Amino acid sequence: MTIAIEARDVTFSFGTTPALRGANLAVEAGEVLAIMGPSGSGKSTLLHCLAGILVPDSGEILIDGVRIDTMTEARRSSMRRDRFGFVFQFGQLVPELTAAENVALPLLLSGVRRSEALGKAYAWFERLGLAGMEDRRSGELSGGQAQRVALARGLVAGPDVLFADEPTGALDSLTGEQVMDLMVDAAGEQGTTVVLVTHEPRVAAYAGREVIVRDGRVNAPDRIPS
Amino acid sequence: MIGFGLRLAVSGGREAITRLVVIAAAVAVGAGLLLATFAGVNAVNAQLTRVASLYPDPSAGGSDADPLWWTSREDYFHGSLITRVDVAATGASSPTPVGIPRTPGEGEFYASPAMQRLLAATAPDQLGARYPGRDLGTIGDAALTSPDSLVVIIGGAADQVGKLPHAVRLTSTGDNTPALPETVVDLIMSVIVAGLLFPVLIFIGTATRLSAARREQRFAAMRLVGATPRQISVIAAIEAAAAALAGTALGFVLFFLFRGSLAAVPFTGDPFFPSDLSLGVLNVLLVAVGVPAGAAVAAAVSLHRVRVSPLGVTRRATPRAPRWYRLLPLLLGLAELAFFLVGPKPETSDGQAAVFLPGLLLVMTGLLLAGPLLTMAGARLMARRATRPATLIAARRLADNPKAGFRAISGIMLALFITSVATGVITSIVANRGPAVVGSIEAATLSVNANDSPPTVAGPVLAGLRPIRGVSSTTILRKNPVKYADALVACADIPAVYGRCEAGATVAAVASGFVPYRQTVESSRVWPAAPVSVDALPQLPVESVVVGTDGSADAIEKARTVLELTFPAYYVGANVPGDFESEFANTLRGWQQLANVTIIASLALAGCSLAVSVVGGLVERKRPFSLLRLSGAPVRVLRRVVALESAVPMLTVAVVAVGIGLLAAQLFLGAQMHYTLEPPGAEFYLVVGAGLAVCLAVIASTLPLLERITGPETARSE
Repeated sequence: MTIAIEARDVTFSFGTTPALRGANLAVEAGEVLAIMGPSGSGKSTLLHCLAGILVPDSGEILIDGVRIDTMTEARRSSMRRDRFGFVFQFGQLVPELTAAENVALPLLLSGVRRSEALGKAYAWFERLGLAGMEDRRSGELSGGQAQRVALARGLVAGPDVLFADEPTGALDSLTGEQVMDLMVDAAGEQGTTVVLVTHEPRVAAYAGREVIVRDGRVNAPDRIPS
Repeated sequence: MIGFGLRLAVSGGREAITRLVVIAAAVAVGAGLLLATFAGVNAVNAQLTRVASLYPDPSAGGSDADPLWWTSREDYFHGSLITRVDVAATGASSPTPVGIPRTPGEGEFYASPAMQRLLAATAPDQLGARYPGRDLGTIGDAALTSPDSLVVIIGGAADQVGKLPHAVRLTSTGDNTPALPETVVDLIMSVIVAGLLFPVLIFIGTATRLSAARREQRFAAMRLVGATPRQISVIAAIEAAAAALAGTALGFVLFFLFRGSLAAVPFTGDPFFPSDLSLGVLNVLLVAVGVPAGAAVAAAVSLHRVRVSPLGVTRRATPRAPRWYRLLPLLLGLAELAFFLVGPKPETSDGQAAVFLPGLLLVMTGLLLAGPLLTMAGARLMARRATRPATLIAARRLADNPKAGFRAISGIMLALFITSVATGVITSIVANRGPAVVGSIEAATLSVNANDSPPTVAGPVLAGLRPIRGVSSTTILRKNPVKYADALVACADIPAVYGRCEAGATVAAVASGFVPYRQTVESSRVWPAAPVSVDALPQLPVESVVVGTDGSADAIEKARTVLELTFPAYYVGANVPGDFESEFANTLRGWQQLANVTIIASLALAGCSLAVSVVGGLVERKRPFSLLRLSGAPVRVLRRVVALESAVPMLTVAVVAVGIGLLAAQLFLGAQMHYTLEPPGAEFYLVVGAGLAVCLAVIASTLPLLERITGPETARSE
């Protein structure tokens, strides 16, 4: 087993309010990990630290054994763009762009030619059951459709890791399940590691492993990956 | 509702206060400029009235007083106009000229303060000798166009003054009150209102729309408890009007603070007296009431495009794309201007204004209407060809709502259009009717109309001119016995620099001053032979005298003094080609300065609108932009989006506005004056560049906000 992401004794505070108090976590390559916990437990902060969005106050974050917490913001941005994908709860799509252009955006940001980027983006619409919606704007999509477009955007560049922060938080349970099915399947096909933050056990059930964050610390795994 | 709106406006926290202050500051600048312009028009009127007092109308008055003989002449010194007034009282009850305590007698004169300074600082043979006699004192402000006016009022004997050209008998003075023609005032006012007020109102509208989006929770909550959309509009309008009222008050303060400095700027070619920059009751009312009312209307209208529902504030869904017929007014306006290029032209100034003013206003309106259509077309093209994400996002945003995209830059378009027309017209007129180029033969050639003086005058005048150092040639032109024909000169007397006679001729017919109308001196010019013998020439009256000099001011002014003393009976003194026009050109240059001030102020205001619009766009998209940044999009990509959404349309619009402005100027010049447009000088491009740079700086000032509002905390907290 290869460790893809590792957090070692990570602490982080918002001003004087501690959010992480020595969190430790290791994520294996290709696994789907769910980070659970009550509101305010620090699970989103942990995800942001793992993704290089936030820099811990102390401790280390390693991606494939390389520390990213000591990298410059520019290098971390570059890494997020080239190696990670993101899916958030809502409001991720740029309203002016069509659905296809939104999906193609990470490729365009990486310098891929427009026709090639759009070609790859179009391929995802069929796969996610969104055929015919390529030219719609975000305002013309339902919540579930928009989230699937966001999922396609998160995966289109073939990232090593997909970070998903409450990806079904704004969806009804049926739509949420559809999105999770698609996410796990698509990530599995690409061999993408998934780090999923949720407070819903039903969503966490899609993960191979769950960890619980309480008071800024990661508890021991409750379940061994099958 | 009004009290409630006011309370909300001032108790909305720091952001509301900041918004009020920003709007008030913009309105203060706009109101101050508007007041300055109203006062400027009044000042020009006052100047013209005093100019008219130097050229009185004999039909005015009608009293039975002893008449006063009066004649005004134009004299020049180093390219500056000197107004010389000769007067003679015919009895004890003759009226006294305005600005002096009594009518000067023979051998006495009054001079303006500037003239007295000039006389004291100049050698008499260059200037003072032209006005011999006793200096009685200073001419008062009432008779002076400006503090720098050069005026001399000379007393003479009634029988002498009465014989001078254009001499009139006055039974009263100081009752001439001509003003600017109404059409000219209308033209100036329309341009000012469009150039200054429009950007202010656009700014207020944009700021109101943005603030409505920012106050969405408050407005939504009010809607939820039953407030109607109309009540919400009233509250927003009250806030805008309150800020505009404060801004207008500040505008009055700014105006009175800078009135003195403003008076010193020679907008009309001459500085004003500070008291000239006065405001009429109507001016005060228009600004004090009109600006806040305009602000309230702009705010109410701007909210029509925002839907305030109990669930929040949203922009109306996908606005309709602008249609092709928006191009019609622009095309019609250009067609009207072009029609008069080839068709019949009005003869009078009023007629010209009546024709060209609607044409220019139609083009201006057309530009504003066509703007969104052109923005959409350009943005769609840009989106199709975009290969970079920033270009794609910016182009899609502009193509989605081109009206909103264009609104922010419409003030810039209008300001640049007006300035381009003004500059194009002014530059071309100055080039065609301006003074001779320094160093040219024309600038070194002095000529005087001798008013068909007797032949015997030739000897003494030549004797007076030849000893002057720097005089290289003196030529007497004789009256042609053929009516209206060119003056005559012996071929042997034509200095080589002015051309030569056709082969075999002994006497030639030459243009006045050896320079045909609107042409330059040519040594290769061949003058046609005249059927008059050389021997007959000395018996013909002297029509004019041409003096060639080395171009030095000393030589020209000494020669001018000799000529004026010899030929005092013509209403224009000896002059260098362009002396007449230089006054007119100075006036136009003054208006150019006004245009420059207008453009910088308008562009600054338009830049503020653009910045507010940019901020609005950022606030609207802060979440997707923030998530893009989290996903690794460099902040420079987002900066590029902002730049492309604002700077590219602004620069494109600048090019279009300047191009159409210069085209309209060419159509006007070609149709009315038969001039070809002269390209504006570097100063114009510098001013436009500076104005646009100010706008870009204002846009750039919003970029730190971009970084701040798209930080990770945005994604976390919303």
